Amino acid sequence: MQNFFQALVSGAAVGMIYAVIAFGYQLTFATSKTLNFGQGEALMLGGLVGLTVSSYTGYWIMLPIVMAFGLLQGSVVELLGVRQAIKIKSEAGWIMATIALGIIFLNLAENIWGRDDLKFPSPLSEQPLSFKGVNILPMEVLVVIGAVLLMIAVEVFNRKSIYGKAVVATSNDRDAAGLMGINTSAIITFSYALSSMAAAFAGVLVAPVTLTGATMGSALGLKAFAVAIIGGLSSGMGVIVGGLLLGVIETMTGLYFSTGYKDVPGLILLLLVLSFKPSGLFGKSTIKKV
Amino acid sequence: MLRIENLVAGYGKVQVLQGISLHVPEGKLVTLIGSNGAGKTTTLRALSGMIKPESGKITLNGTDIAGLPAFKITRLGLAHSPEGRRIFPTLSVADNMVLGAFPRLTGARPKGDVQADIERNYDLFPRLGERKEQLAGTLSGGEQQMLAMSRALMLQPQVLLLDEPSMGLSPKLVEEVFIIINRLKREKITMLLVEQFAAAALEVADYGYVMENGRLSASGEASALKNDPAVRAAYLGQAH
Ligand SMILES: Nc1ncnc2c1ncn2[C@@H]1O[C@H](COP(=O)(O)OP(=O)(O)O)[C@@H](O)[C@H]1O
Ligand SMILES: [Mg+2]
Repeated sequence: MQNFFQALVSGAAVGMIYAVIAFGYQLTFATSKTLNFGQGEALMLGGLVGLTVSSYTGYWIMLPIVMAFGLLQGSVVELLGVRQAIKIKSEAGWIMATIALGIIFLNLAENIWGRDDLKFPSPLSEQPLSFKGVNILPMEVLVVIGAVLLMIAVEVFNRKSIYGKAVVATSNDRDAAGLMGINTSAIITFSYALSSMAAAFAGVLVAPVTLTGATMGSALGLKAFAVAIIGGLSSGMGVIVGGLLLGVIETMTGLYFSTGYKDVPGLILLLLVLSFKPSGLFGKSTIKKV
Repeated sequence: MLRIENLVAGYGKVQVLQGISLHVPEGKLVTLIGSNGAGKTTTLRALSGMIKPESGKITLNGTDIAGLPAFKITRLGLAHSPEGRRIFPTLSVADNMVLGAFPRLTGARPKGDVQADIERNYDLFPRLGERKEQLAGTLSGGEQQMLAMSRALMLQPQVLLLDEPSMGLSPKLVEEVFIIINRLKREKITMLLVEQFAAAALEVADYGYVMENGRLSASGEASALKNDPAVRAAYLGQAH
């Protein structure tokens, strides 16, 4: 039973990382119906840039710097890769472009930071806290808190600020948003920026728990994509539940079967959702009266 | 205030407007009537930048706006309440209203008193006031139409384009909408009104244009058009 709770806790931390990246997928999908398939690489760049920056500034001051870097990197992806494809209404152009940019970022990172995984110094004690025999790393707690705070911050921004409302309006009806005087192209760039910022943030949250290196993002990006599909590309709650579900299922599989099979149940879940509820477990159709 | 010369526009290779010229003077209400598919909506879309005109000149208060993106045209003071209402369904009534004032709230147009204008809209459309916090997607068709109009008014526009504000409404609501339009006219808001209810539109308007297959076939004082035998026969259902 102790092992069970242990797996639950570790699964929750990984799951929240999936959730944040999946949340990023949702952000760009909402405004532009496109996805950044380089999200995993955005996370990786966040982790590595964070590693370098934090060696000068320490962990906490590094956070806003890495987030600013994420904003910039996401804007570059949209301006170089996505905008052109949207303009010519190309169905697949943005897919190729975001994957290609992801590969370029990966190569770039390998050249700058090398191919080996690097240790990311933890800002918190690496002594686990022990509750009735269940060990929790302080960093795992930070992962969960940080992830939740980030998603709440974006949600509050969308609901309360005029620019956030402009983002929601663009997601609802791009042409009508243009009629409100909203520069919807800029809004789409912004949603890419925000989505990469979320990924970069996830990168520096997860790096002290795992390791950091050029390939750290590939698997995470893919699994978060599964979470976005499982939870629904339009439901904020969905990615949290989906992320936790996948994270916990993975660690449980590792615990009760074999770590070699830990990726299987998630994929089965993904296939099931795609066959029976393609809009995701929490996907909703928008209310629209004609 | 709004002047169109030789406007040619359409969708891709399909040319809908075959060179139309039209003038909306300051403080006047001009109506554009014509049967279904004539090109009225296309005209308004070309004016507000929802589609790019192929050629022709459009000036708003002397500024050439032809071919500008929609958001820039809006920021220059042209508001468009589009066909099909196009309200933002997942946002509240209040937020829809606030977004109408987006250029004012972000420094692109003089700010004025946005809150007072919202209150004024609730006076104009009390039903919206009762549903401020409700999601716009849950409103009835008539309420959505009122929201689309009041959202456009939130710009404090120099020119207001209205595309069939009566579409799909009950006779009682249609009457209400025309009362509101009349009230806006008395407040000297410059308007271009597209309508299927030609009789009612000519009743309230100062000037009228009649559109047929992408061309203007008649124009003049609304009162004169109303009595024009050809217009009566074709659009006012009084062919005898
Ligand atoms: N999005 C579109 N794509 C292609 N053709 C269109 C589109 N919208 C309208 N049309 C065509 O343009 C013509 C004029 O339509 P429209 O301007 O909507 O007429 P009206 O508003 O006067 O009823 C019609 O023949 C219609 O089929
Ligand atoms: Mg029409």
